Formats: sequence, C-alpha cells, structure tokens
Amino acid sequence: MLTLRSQQHSGSFCDGLSRRSFLRIGGLGGLSLPGLLRAESEQGLGKSNKALILVYLPGGPPHQDMFDLKMDAPSEIRGEFSPIRTNVPGIQICEHLPRMARMADKFAFVRSVVGAKDRHESFQCVTGRLNDNVPPGGWPEIGSVVSKLQGGGPAVPSYVNLSPRMQHTPYNQGRTSFLGVAHAPFMPMGSVKDDMTLNGVSLERLADRRSLLTSFDTFRREADSSGSMNGVDAFTEQAFDILTSSRLLKALDISNEDPKLLERYGKGTDKIQGDAAPRLNEQFVLARRLVEAGVRVVTISYSFWDWHGDNFKIAKQNLPDFDQAITALVQDLHDRGLAQDVSVLAWGEFGRTPRINPKGGRDHWPNVSCALLAGGGMRTGQVIGATDRIGGEASERPVHFQEIFATMYSNLGINPNTTTVPDLTGRPHYLVDGQFQPMKEVIA
Amino acid sequence: MKPLFTSLPLVFCGLASASSLQIHNGAPAGQPGVLAGRDAALQILVTSTDENGRQHDATREVTWKIEPEGLVTLSPAGRALPLQDGTVMLTATGKDGAVASTSLTIKNAAKNRDLHFKNDIVPVFTKYGCNGGGCHGKSEGQNGFKLSLLGFEPAEDFEHLVNESRGRRLFPAAPESSLLLLKSTGEMPHGGGSRMERGSPDYQSIVRWMEQGMPKGDPAAPVPVSLTVTPGERLLAPDSDQQLQVIAQYSDGSWQDVTTLVQYDSGAKEMATVTPAGLVRTAQQPGDAAVMIRFMEMVSVFRATIPLGAPLGEFPSEKNYIDTNVFTKLRTLGLPPSGLCDDATFLRRATIDITGRLPRPAEVAAFAADTSPEKRAALVDRLLATPDYAEYFASKWASLLRNKRADRPAYGTQVFYSWIRDNLNQNRPFSEMASGILNASGSVITSPPAAWYRAVQKPQDEMQDIAQIFCGQRLQCAQCHHHPYEKWSQQDYFGFSAFFSTVARKASDQPAEEAVFHQPGVASAQNPRTGQPVKPTPLGGTTLALEPQDDPRAPLATWLTAPGNPFFARMFANRYWKHFFSRALVEPEDDMRVTNPPVNPALLDALAADFTKSGFNMKAFIRTICTSSTYQLSSLPNEYNAKDRQNFSRFYPRRLQAEVLLDSIDNVTGLNSRFPGQPVERRAVGLPDDSFNAGNYFLTVFGRPENSSACECERTQDSSLAQSLHLLNSKGIQEKLTAPASRAAQLAKDPQPMEERIKQLFVMAYSRPPEASEGAKALEYVTHKNGEQVAWEDMVWALLNTKEFLFNH
Repeated sequence: MLTLRSQQHSGSFCDGLSRRSFLRIGGLGGLSLPGLLRAESEQGLGKSNKALILVYLPGGPPHQDMFDLKMDAPSEIRGEFSPIRTNVPGIQICEHLPRMARMADKFAFVRSVVGAKDRHESFQCVTGRLNDNVPPGGWPEIGSVVSKLQGGGPAVPSYVNLSPRMQHTPYNQGRTSFLGVAHAPFMPMGSVKDDMTLNGVSLERLADRRSLLTSFDTFRREADSSGSMNGVDAFTEQAFDILTSSRLLKALDISNEDPKLLERYGKGTDKIQGDAAPRLNEQFVLARRLVEAGVRVVTISYSFWDWHGDNFKIAKQNLPDFDQAITALVQDLHDRGLAQDVSVLAWGEFGRTPRINPKGGRDHWPNVSCALLAGGGMRTGQVIGATDRIGGEASERPVHFQEIFATMYSNLGINPNTTTVPDLTGRPHYLVDGQFQPMKEVIA
Repeated sequence: MKPLFTSLPLVFCGLASASSLQIHNGAPAGQPGVLAGRDAALQILVTSTDENGRQHDATREVTWKIEPEGLVTLSPAGRALPLQDGTVMLTATGKDGAVASTSLTIKNAAKNRDLHFKNDIVPVFTKYGCNGGGCHGKSEGQNGFKLSLLGFEPAEDFEHLVNESRGRRLFPAAPESSLLLLKSTGEMPHGGGSRMERGSPDYQSIVRWMEQGMPKGDPAAPVPVSLTVTPGERLLAPDSDQQLQVIAQYSDGSWQDVTTLVQYDSGAKEMATVTPAGLVRTAQQPGDAAVMIRFMEMVSVFRATIPLGAPLGEFPSEKNYIDTNVFTKLRTLGLPPSGLCDDATFLRRATIDITGRLPRPAEVAAFAADTSPEKRAALVDRLLATPDYAEYFASKWASLLRNKRADRPAYGTQVFYSWIRDNLNQNRPFSEMASGILNASGSVITSPPAAWYRAVQKPQDEMQDIAQIFCGQRLQCAQCHHHPYEKWSQQDYFGFSAFFSTVARKASDQPAEEAVFHQPGVASAQNPRTGQPVKPTPLGGTTLALEPQDDPRAPLATWLTAPGNPFFARMFANRYWKHFFSRALVEPEDDMRVTNPPVNPALLDALAADFTKSGFNMKAFIRTICTSSTYQLSSLPNEYNAKDRQNFSRFYPRRLQAEVLLDSIDNVTGLNSRFPGQPVERRAVGLPDDSFNAGNYFLTVFGRPENSSACECERTQDSSLAQSLHLLNSKGIQEKLTAPASRAAQLAKDPQPMEERIKQLFVMAYSRPPEASEGAKALEYVTHKNGEQVAWEDMVWALLNTKEFLFNH
C-alpha cells in the first residue's frame, strides 16, 4: 500500500496528513503516474471540501422523547423519560442521550420542524420537496443536486448512499430524477453491491482481462471532444480500482481504523429493524471515511423509528446506539478538523403524536418534528424553536424543512436562493422555494 | 485547437489603402442621428471593411473631428452625449486614412424628457437584476419588497414601489435619500449588495423620475415594438472586440438608443463575453457564440463567428445541400474537415443510427465485397426498408409521446407503439402522424394514438408537450409570467392551451381504457392574470373563430402541418439532425428560441425547406442526411479540428444508448435477454413502453428513459461508475460470457482455425476484421490459455469493454 502525500494542504488532520493525502494506490494494476496525476487533478485540489452527512431515521423518531421532553404535560403525553442537563446551560435533552448531553455545545437542536406530510417515505428528508406535483423525471435528492452543481471529477462519486435496500420501498433513496442516472447516488450497499465484488472471476483472471482490454482499447480518445470517452475511461479505471481493492473500497473498509476509535462509535446491530434498516453504527465511520476520500454527500438510513407500540421500550434500545454513533461521528469530525467543512443532519419524515396510544406507542404526527444539526461551521450549542405544552405544534420559530435544506446547501457553499437546476422541460428550479432562506440562527 | 495567428493579419487587416469606413448613427439609413433630451445618449458605431469584404469594429480606433465643437461630447467608446441644441458633423478617420462622416441633430439638450415608468424605469430594474427570479422578482418578493419577474407587469411594480408600505420606498422631496436608491447603491444595508453606482446615468434617471413626481406615464405613450442590434452577426478574430449598438423602435415610428439599458447574456462565455455597455470580447476558441439581448418584452441576438483560419486543404465532394452548407461554414471558419471514414466504419455507423443494431457478419462481408461506387447510398436504402428502422425510431417517438404503462393493461401502450411503428414502416408523412396524434378520438383500440391523451391529461400539459415536440417551443415559463427569453406571453400560453379545452374523456367498452372525445362547447382557457378567457390561438397567429361543435384540434393540426408553419419542419429537422450527428443545430434540440440561434442557420433553413417540399417524407430526409459527405466524415480529428464540437468538421462519437448496447452485447455474447410478456426474439430496442426498466438493471443504469416527459433529454447517455462496474463485473454479463450456449463456448468448440474464429469475433463486435497486431495479440492470448472456453470468455469480455465497441464512431 502506497500512500500519496500531496504537497498542498487544504485542512490538516491531527496526524498531520492533509485531507487530500487520502489518495492511495493499491492492489494490482494500480494507477500509472499520468493516471495518478489525472486522479489528483480530478479531485480538484484546492477546491472546497464542503460535505454533508445526512442521517435518515426511517419511520419518524419521537421528537418529544429525544430533544423536547414535555415535563409539564399530563402523564398520557409526558411519557416515561426524564430530561437531563447538558453541557450547555439551559438545554435539556433525554436521559437516554447522555453522550450527546455531554457535548451539546457541538449540536444544534431544532425543535420546531414543520411542513411535513403524513407519509412514510424518505422523499422529503432527502429531496427537500414534498412528493406532490413532481416535475417529469422526479425531484433530485440533495446529493444529486450537489453532484450536478459541484461534480468533482470522477475520482470518487460525489454522492454515496450507504443505505441498504429497505423492505418498505418508499424509505429507499437513489430515486431517478430529472438530473439523470449520472447523478444518482452510488449505492455500495444497494444496487451496485453485487457488481462490487468479483463475480465468478479471480483477481488473477481480472488482471489478465484488464491487460487484454488495455491492448485492444486503442480507439483514439481524441476522436471525442465531448469528454464522454474520457468519462468512460475514468470510470473504468475507478471500477477496476474498486474491484482490485483500492481507494473507494478502502474508504468502505473500516478494518484499518483504530480499534479504539471504532469502539467509540459502537456497534449497534446488523439485524434489520422493522421494515427499514439495521442499526449499524459502522455506517457513521464509513460516512466520515467517504467524506475524507472526497465524497460530497453521504446518506445513511439508520434503524427503524415507527413505534406505534412500546415506544419507550424500543426507544431504550435505539437511543443509546444512536447516541453513541452520532456523538462519536461529530467528535471525530471535530478531532480531525473537519467540523467547519462537514455538516451533519439527522432527522426523520415526521414527529409522533403527543398522546401515547393504548399500546404504549405514539402515532404519526406531521405537525411538528425535530432535526439534529452539527458541524458545517454552524453555530451550535443552541436550541432553535419550541413546541407548545404538549409538543403538538410549533409555538416559537417554526422551521420549515426547506429552511434546513437551505442551510445545508449554504454550508456546502451553494446559494440555494440564486442557484437553479433545470428540469426536463428546461425550467430552472431554485434549490428551495423562494420564501425559505438558510437559518440565520446557525449560519455563523 | 490554437488559433493560427500567423495567418490572421492577412485575413483581417487587408491592405491599408483599400479599406473603407461606415458609421452607424442609429437612425434609419441616410438620416441624421438624433439626440433628444438632456438624458439622451447614442452609441455611435464605426465599421471598417477591407478590400476582401472582411469587416471589423473600428469604433475605438478612429480619430474624430466634430464640427462645430461644443454641441456634443463623444467618448473614446463612441458614446455621444448632448450639450447644446444644433446639428454637428462627425468625421472619423481610420488608422489607414479612410474617412467617413455622419451628422447628428441635438434637440432639447437643456430639457429633461418626461420619463415613463414602464419604458424608462422598469428596464433599469431588469438591467441590475433587481427583478430577477433570485431576488425581488420571485413570486414571494424578497424581504417584503416584490417586483414582477423581469418587469413584465409594470402596473404591479408601480403599485409596489410607489404606494405599498405607505410610500416609504420613495422620497420625492429628497430623491437621493429614498430607500430605493440608498439600498440599491449599498449606502444602506441591502441583502443584494450594491447594485448601482451613485450618480450613474441610471441612478440619475430614477432621481429625475422622482423629481418629476413619479409619473406612471401616459398609458397611450408609444411602446417599443422591435429591437435592432447592429451588427446582427460578424466574423470576429480571436481576442478582438466588437461594440454593439441596440436601437428600440417605438409604436409611433420613433426610435431610441438602448445600448446601455438592455441586458446582455453570452451563450458561450468560453468564446465570447459581453460588458453591460455592449462590448463583446472574443476569447481564443473558434466557433459560434450568440449574445442574447433583452429589453422589456423583446429579445434579439448577436452572433459572433470566431474563425480558426487554418489552411483548408482538400474537402470531400459535395453530395447534396447539406455538404454545401456545412462546407461553406467550415471554409468561413478556416476549419478543415476530416476525411471520409472507411467502409466498415460507415456500415457500422449507419446500421446503428438507422436500425439500432450492429451489422450482421454476413452484411459486413457483403458490404466489403460490394464494389459499386453507390454502395453507401444503397446501404442506406436497404436499412430504411427493414422493419428494424421502424422499430428503432418508434421507440424514440414512444418515449417523447409518453408511452408509459403506469398500472394499465399492456395492450394500450402496445397498440400505440405499433401504430407509431407502422406509420414509420409505411413511411406515412410526418404531418399525418402528428395530425393523427392531435386528432385522436375514441379509445386506444379504435384509435391507438388516443393513448397519448391518457398519458397527458391536462390541457396545459397537452399544449406544452405539443409545443415542445412539434414546435420546439418550451412554453412552460409563460404559464406564470412572460417568457423571459422569448416573445411568448401568458396570453399566448393560454391561447394555445385553449385548443385542448374541449378534450373530454369517458368510459369506453375496453376495461380501464377511457375514450377521448370533443365535448361541444366554446373552446377557451382563462388567463389567470387578466381573468379573461382566451380563445384558441396558434403560436404567433391570430385567434380562430370556432363554432361549439368544431373540435379545435382539427384546425390546430391543419395549422401545425401547413407547409408555411414556422416551427414544424424545423423542429423535425433539428431533432433528426441530432439523432445522426449527436449535436443538434439548435441545442437543446427542442428549445428553438429566437435567442438560441442555430450554429448553421442556412443549413437548418435548407433542411426544413427540403423536408417540407418532400411532403414531410421521413425516410427521404434520413437518406439525404446519411448520403451526405458530412455524415460520412471520419471521427478521427486532423491537425485542426479536434476541438470542434458544433461545426460537423468530423463525426462526433457517442455512446450506444441503453437498448442498443444491451442488444449489441446480446449479439456478441450470443445470449439474448428476455423481457416479460414479450416474444423470445424481441430486442430491447423494440420494447413498447417503460415498464421493462424496473426489472432490468442494465437498462436503468444505462439511462433508458421512463417515458415521463416530452423531452429527448430524459434519455441520458452520460457515463457513470455504476455502469462501468456493471459492464466489467456483473453477474449478468458473466453469465452471458460463460453459458453453454454462449459465443465463447461456441468459439471454443469451433473446428475452424484459431485465426478464423478471432476474425469472426472481431467482425461481430467491431464490424471489421482484426488488424494484424490485434489478431496476433488475440492469438497469443487464446493459445496461451490452450484455446479453452475461459480464454474466449476473456476475449469477448475485453472487446465488449472497449470504447470502439461502446461508441458509435
């Protein structure tokens, strides 16, 4: 394994390596020097390294049992959990999120997210749109938009979705959109998973094939000035890279992470929860590694949060794992000096009913929900918005979910109010509706 | 492609004594220029013409003599401002001594013109971007202050500016302390920053307007009716300048210089940039660059052609008018074309483009053996006569016509697809096909194109699709506001929409299928801004008088397919040009706005005229394209044309589209894909609708469209990592390589000599025998692996992954 060190430092890790030094050559074949230089140039040295890790909590987490406990409400609403103090005076969160409480200064808690619909789907959480009046082709996910706008050469995909295929299909991401398949997420746990491990050929055989391909693939690339032949070449190289154990695969391989660090992230479980995703804490490490490798948007689907019964019992299983994973990620980003560049957003499609139902669960409640923000250079250590006495409606500073998207785009260095992407009719669409701006509370 | 500087002086400067000068004073030819009012200004333009007829902008290089002095000032950029009433003679002397003169009349130099809100003030907001869609022009306004998008609704703007918020935005007693001016100059905090300079002419206009008491202006005041940009087009050297002069003509016959009031937008900034004062500057890259010019509801365009000036050498022979037009342009540009491609390449290219499949080995052999000089034309005829042609192009139209299965029974999309295919197969005129779709009545069984009306349900959507598919007009913008880049207003939008206002649907005798019919009644659509109904009106035409029993779609079809229709033939020509050349003459192919001019206007005109004259004969049109030398140029660049992407000096390779690629892989591997509910021999190209995508990862990942829009752009031929991984390493491909019936297995068992088998494989994949070095390499590899099946699997795999296979070139 050869690690390339770039002279140009665009933000250093605590180990003294630049973020860009995560350009590694390995496996058989590898990159030739010109190929290497091309890879470096395509990585866009010196360009912004803003990134987003979006954690989708499928099913809709209970806002009032996590970040917005309602101790003054009657018992059929209040629930079983108690609030605990955090390291930010005045902010209290659930007792089952103790790690988060100890570093609440690194989070912003939005208690008043509005605008949702009662629909079990990731649509709104990843596209920033409601699934109504969808333009032909479909609304793009935020990662597809970023891929379209900022691309970032083909050295690594701009948008990676780590979610597995979920049984309840509307939870899944990677929808086709009017931005086309080229900007769809790369899904190493989903559709391309089968193509990422060798199918019926050995590494040696693949090497034979590759050299055979090289000797026949002599068609002059200059015949094509549109760049599509170059594109095919770059992706072919990248694909070989993956198949022969390399950068992207390395980024997806946590075996050479420090075991102590992995311990901090916790394990969770690889058992699929409900009809959604497993509670796999290593996804948070993977997300960080991918972002370091140059991916701009990473989405994760974590566990299953649609608790119509036994809300508190299931919460006690889920909250500690989530607490551990997300705090380890945010701390890790801070430790590596990435907290200015990498935004973290965790949320689900809606909140839960104030009243606890006879089965001890809470039902769908689109009127208000919550969002957890960190990193991205945002002003953290604060609570934004408030709900009424029973956690049923936003009583202060309702935050439309598009404001959160506007904030994420802004953190990524994209002005959501002046930037457009064209749909299939050529109509330009602003990234969020006109009335929504990045949240002034968190934009430093 | 570096411009050849050495040859430029000869081309552009000419001999010193032989050049002449021409002054454009903005007035109609022969009349003196006019400066009327204290705030008037006039951009004077000087053009120098050398003895070869080449022109260049001399505005900034001449020396001026002004007689008498003291009546006007003239800036080095040629901008004249009034000082005192009278008439002056301006004489320009060029660098080489050429002389020209013009006179200017100055009127009311001490008097301020009465300003008009719509004509004088609103354009200022547009110019500085205040009313853009990202700022105050969006539907919600910005921070409480709203302007209509691009100033298309001046009455609303007047209300917002003058009366809203208790009039706090304007302060007539001290105009310079108005919120409007303090914010726009950045003297007070403004989210949009400092847009305008204090004291600039535009700033002064607004001050003066307030001083005049903020007049709305006479509603009967003359309105601008047309926009003239001078020059309209010009051949420009790399790294050179061209000043533009923009004149607005008014309804009373008067005219005014608006050079600094209009908005400029360069369509190709890598080739040419433009300043707010209308100075175009070219860069180093040769080609065509359009500068869009917008003033109020009007748009115009300046086209710059930046030549390369390379030695032209020998051109291929001109087979038809396509070559004449393309080669004329290449000669103007000094851009020599590549030579003609070889026979094998032509066979593969034309077979893929016309039939969506690879040539069969027998076809390769026969074509190579054919010695007729006309064999390429004969091939085109042969391909057009196959059902493969109709099948392939039917899938193109089925996608645009939204042949979407949704959750309906399969027969609906199947019969519509078959109807399109039969139209193409029998080569019915394109006009009949279009009319057939527009006029469809009944259920999909009695009238297959009625399927289009079940996929597109609302009158506005129907209108938008028809406008985009057959007219190349994207009208969506005009639904909510005047089209920013076109002349279309909301009135035009709803007038065109009204044609579909009587389309109704009822249950048919087919389960789950509606029947489409005309519901007698007055056809109209409501313009939401005026609240008034609008009767059916063709684009750019006059409103039709129809009786309630008249189905308005019939006159619409007649209008659309009439030989004089300005859109129909051009749109088809542009769309089909792109099919064969990868790049449309207007790009994107269905956005044929005035402000988006073709790269070769004469060629597009000629193609449209030819198509119309042929009676909209599609096969004849394809034949003309494919038999031109232009279509037969090699894709390999010569010394000069590697970077050409729009002048067709060589063939531009493109990746095979999803279905063609899958079929080709099936052909080469010898294992056909199966599609649910379809006959065994059905190729992917012949699939009737979108429903096969969901179960076929290959088609999805390579971008087969979902048939959900009227835009060709829904099909994407972009590459991605997931595609490469799939081709290199999918289970599906590996199965096709290794199955007992696979090509590799057959080749391994084949008793013929190794060389012969290698040749077969190359012919299958590339439509050509291997070159000596390729044959040797293949032989070495297969022999090294003892001729076993795995060796052949690797060989097939390797060829499938080469660019020569993946691209049509």
